[in-house]
Amino acid sequence: MDPDALAKAFVEHYYSMFDSNRGGLASLYQDGSMLTFEGQKIQGSQNIVAKLTSLPFQQCQHSITTVDCQPSGPTGGMLVFVSGNLQLAGEQHALKFSQMFHLMPTPQGSFYVYNDIFRLNYA
Amino acid sequence: MEVESCHVDVVGKAFVDHYYNLFDNDRSSLASLYQPTSMLTFEGQKTFGVTDISCKLNNLPFEKCKHIISTVDSQPSAFGGGIVVLVSGSLQLPAEEHPLRFSQMFHLIPTQDGFFFVQNDFFRLNYG
Repeated sequence: MDPDALAKAFVEHYYSMFDSNRGGLASLYQDGSMLTFEGQKIQGSQNIVAKLTSLPFQQCQHSITTVDCQPSGPTGGMLVFVSGNLQLAGEQHALKFSQMFHLMPTPQGSFYVYNDIFRLNYA
Repeated sequence: MEVESCHVDVVGKAFVDHYYNLFDNDRSSLASLYQPTSMLTFEGQKTFGVTDISCKLNNLPFEKCKHIISTVDSQPSAFGGGIVVLVSGSLQLPAEEHPLRFSQMFHLIPTQDGFFFVQNDFFRLNYG
């Protein structure tokens, strides 16, 4: 599968899971994974999922505007840069966001998130 | 781990300040921050290698600009000493009344002489 298509598939899977089964995101992180969410740093799959499942909204919908990807180096990693909108239930206007993923290959031929940085883009 | 991540924050911020200072005041010198293996995706357009990246940045359709940084987030990447950095900010162009908002991602790799170069670079304007 071509890298751009892989990146797009991963991103769609990630946000689909985020929006419908947030606890399932645990499968996409490992112990060494790092998340910086609006400046707050969290390490490890358990802590990351605890953070994401305790965000102050029950329902949300991510819609992706752009996905850019590049190989990160000799170990098969992929950097993915996403911009999009986050619609929260009850909010009139969607929030704009940027998110960066550094994906590392798993022995089973999939990817997990090693680095994850999320920022809202305020006007 | 705490010490390591503080170091990464300091390095990430120092690099970003240096990068945009060069961009805004001496754009052709940005070449010193890229290498033949570097990649840039600028508004979806991919460019490879220091020569072509320099050319792309030097030929953007504005002479002067000023970057104002709002946020810088850094993390160690999976490599020996590599750092990923996510920046958000505004880009002021002389002809434009309002600054353009942008996000940029850098993957920095250490050089032999203790500095960093940009291995991966992504730039996107944030519209709306």
